[in-house]
Parts: sequence; structure tokens; C-alpha cells
Amino acid sequence: MQERPSILIVDDDPDILDGILMILESKDYILRTARDGVQCLEQLSEEVPELLILDLLMPRMDGWGVIRKVRSDSRYAKMPIMILTTVIEDASRRRYELETGHSMDIQAYTEKPAKPMELLGQVEKLLQWKK
Amino acid sequence: MEEVNNSLSVVADRLRNSEVFFNLADEDLLAIAKFCQEEVYQDGQVIFVEGESAFKLLVVERGKLAIEKKIQLGRHSTPRNATIAYVNPNQVAGFSAIALPHKHSGTITALEPTRVCAVDGVKLRDYLDSHPDVGYKVISAITSLVRGRYQAATNTLTYFLSIVSHELRTPLAAVENYLRTMLGGFAGDINQKQERMLNRCVIRVTDLSALISDVVDLARMRPEQIQADFEWFDPGEVGRESIEDSRLAAAQKNIEIRIQPPKKFEPIVGGRRRMRQVLTNLLNNAIKFSPPDATVYFRALYEEDQLIFEIEDSGPGIPPEDLKYIFTDFFRASNVGDTPGAGLGLSIAKKIMDAHNGNIIVKNLTDDDGNINGSLFSVHIPRNLNTPEMRRNEWTSIESNKD
Repeated sequence: MQERPSILIVDDDPDILDGILMILESKDYILRTARDGVQCLEQLSEEVPELLILDLLMPRMDGWGVIRKVRSDSRYAKMPIMILTTVIEDASRRRYELETGHSMDIQAYTEKPAKPMELLGQVEKLLQWKK
Repeated sequence: MEEVNNSLSVVADRLRNSEVFFNLADEDLLAIAKFCQEEVYQDGQVIFVEGESAFKLLVVERGKLAIEKKIQLGRHSTPRNATIAYVNPNQVAGFSAIALPHKHSGTITALEPTRVCAVDGVKLRDYLDSHPDVGYKVISAITSLVRGRYQAATNTLTYFLSIVSHELRTPLAAVENYLRTMLGGFAGDINQKQERMLNRCVIRVTDLSALISDVVDLARMRPEQIQADFEWFDPGEVGRESIEDSRLAAAQKNIEIRIQPPKKFEPIVGGRRRMRQVLTNLLNNAIKFSPPDATVYFRALYEEDQLIFEIEDSGPGIPPEDLKYIFTDFFRASNVGDTPGAGLGLSIAKKIMDAHNGNIIVKNLTDDDGNINGSLFSVHIPRNLNTPEMRRNEWTSIESNKD
């Protein structure tokens, strides 16, 4: 019997967080939340989840900052990242490349608002993801 | 006589303090002062109207003016005036009086009781014509003034856009997220009536998001931005993707998209994603305006110097008097009725094609009796476009041939 997978969801908008939680609660996941990039890194250092769902535009530290930190830290090498944001994908990738010189190492990019069934499908797929 | 000279030198001093006449010699200022006149405006008074002939250049002495431009969203809404700049003491309004085509580029309104020194534009033009050195100084000053206004307008737009794209999208995303969560039954059971209403909510919110994206997109449509993404691509593939984009809309009205491709698709250079946007937009329009169960034709054909895509529908066509306006921002033809849309799709498509040195041509189709029974949009893409890399190589070879 496999353990319940844990997911960390990071978004500064409480309503978005609430809606996503409601969808994901339909499955047997352990759900944690953070409201900005700094909180996200704090939570990650305590426990590495099986999946990180990450917004990009957030106060204190934005999602691009989180990706940079996480992808340069071997502790998180096996953790897939799913971006969930209102930022258009190509604009977002271009910005990351300009800032870091690397392409964005993430496993899924979903533009908000996600359709519930698609979100669940993505999450299931990413939980199977192995680096 | 003494008094006249005194008052002339007072006016000359006022002119000297202004942003346009500050570096002129005393004799020129005195000469210009002769055709100046003091004018006073009340709070709220409209002084010039956009588009009207310009006869006067105003140097503000006291008070404040606002420069406004008329903005009309859609054809039925009341036009509104948006303030684009303020004119404070020693600043100048109405430079159109000495800049061709001598028509006011904005409407000028007094925001406070305002006193100005009004320079007669025709006489000023004559004076500048006969004193080219003075003309040069004045025009230089006006150029930097216009440059400043242009910069201010660009900054406002960029700022406005970054606000629009994020601030407006975020709450909408939250609303749509909740709606979909409820519709998916994740917040408990809903009855049929509630489901219908929630579905309507999703549709309205999605329309609004699309409108916001269009507005933001429209302002991003600078030709050099589009050209920077030019690449080789297979037009057939892009055509197939566009059909895929509009498949759902077609299925909902049971509309058949009949495809008439060329014998073979040759790769061309252009903005791949933008081209898909144009074709999808035209296909969606064709579907939107066609009656249920109709057929939409989607053709592609090669000519020696261009690739042409054609999209033909059997909708109501476009009223002849509206034809020349349909590519204008926010324009919607008078016969669209309740069909949703913001009037931005075609103007965006046109801007994309302009950046390709191409074109979109529209015509109404008629039956034997001359009644309009559809419309035909054709997209013309030149076959001699260059990718940024090809342009760089071209330069390099020109440079190396010079040596």
C-alpha cells in the first residue's frame, strides 16, 4: 500500500487556493499551502512534497525565484513543478531565460483558471513523474 | 505709443518664459508679440475640438488646460474623452496651428479659470517662413514638446497594460476557478437550474477574459515585435491547427469546414503563432456569422510571389457602408446583432498581416439577384519574407562585400 502523496500549493490569492484545495480534496492527497515564495521555501526545507504547484506573480519572492532556488538544490531534484498562473507561457519562459540564461526546468505549465478535471489529470500524471 | 511698447514688451516677456519661444532674440519676441492677444477661459470651457482647424497657439499664463482625446468603445457607446496631458503656466497648447495639417490633434479644455496669450497661427507661420532661423528654433522646441507627449503616452500605455493584464485577469481567474469547481460537483451537488446558471456564468466570464487578452494583445502588436519571431514553417500544419482551434465552435452549430488545400504545401517564412491567430480568428468569425448547418470553405493556394488563404462563409455579409471600417479597432458592423465580440479580432489580424507586408481582403458574395449571401476573407502572405537570422546574414554579406 503506497503512502498518500503530498502536494504543496503556492498562491497568494486565497480564493484560488481555496478553489484548488476543494478540487484536490476529492482525492486522497496530503495538501499543504504557502502564500508566497518565501513561505514556500520554508515549507520545502521542512519536508519535500511529491509535487509543487506554483503561482508565478507573488509578493516577497515570485515563482521564477522559487524555480531558480529549487532547481539549484539537489534535495529537490526529484520533485516535479507544475506552474499554475495567469502569465502567458511563452512570456514567462522568455523572462526566466533572460534572467538566468537557462530554460525553465518545470514539468507542466497550466494557465489559470484550470479546468478541474484537467488539473486532476495533470496532478496524477506528475505524481508518476520520475527524474 | 509708449504704452503700446510697454505692453508689447510684457507680452514678449511672457513668450520668452514659454517652452516654445524661450531661446528667441528680443526683436523676434517683440515682432511675435504684435499678433498676440490675451484670452480668458472659464472652468470647464472647451477651447479647441479635436479635428478642427487650428488657428491659435496658446501660451498659458495662469490656470491649467487638459488635452483630451476622444475614445469610443464599440459604435453604440457614448464617446468619452481621455486626458492625455495637462498644460500648466508657461507651457503651450495648440501647436497644430504651426504644424501641418493644421488640425487639432486633441481637444483642449480649461480645468480652472485660465488666462492665456493666444498667438495668431497664420501670422506666426508667415513670420517663421520669412525668418527661417527663428522658424528652426521654434520647430526644434515644438519637436521636443511633441516627443515628450509621445513618451508620456507610451509610458501610460505600458503601465496601463501591465495593470490590465494582471490585475484584471487575476480576479476573473478566481471567479472562473470557483465556478468550475462548483460545476464539477467538488463543492457538493447542484441542481439543473443552478448548473445552467453556472454554465452561463462561465461563458460570460470566459468572454470577458478573451476581451482583456485581446486588448492587451492589440497594444503589443508592434510590427518589429511580430517580425522578431519570423521563422520557416509549414502553412498546412498551421492551417490544420487553426481548424482544430475552431472545431468545437463549428461542432456546436453543426457547421462543416470544407478544406481545399493546394497540391503541396511549401514552407514559408512568417510569424507562425501569429498566422495561426489570424486564420483561427477568421474561421471563428465565419462560424459565428454562418447560420447553423452551413458550410465554411477554407482554401489555400500558391501564387508565384504569395500564399493565399481564403475563408468563405454563408453569413449575412458586411453592410457595404461598413466595409472600409471593419479592420478598425473596436469596430463592429451594424448587422452583428447579438453575436458576441469586442470588435478587436479583425483589427489584430490586420496588424499581424501588415507586419508581414501582406494583406487581408474582404468582399461580399452575392447570388444571381445581387443579394449578399456570404463573405470571403483572403489572407495574402508574401513568399519573400526573411527570418531575423536571414536578415543578419544578408547584412554580413553586404558588409563583407564592401571590403
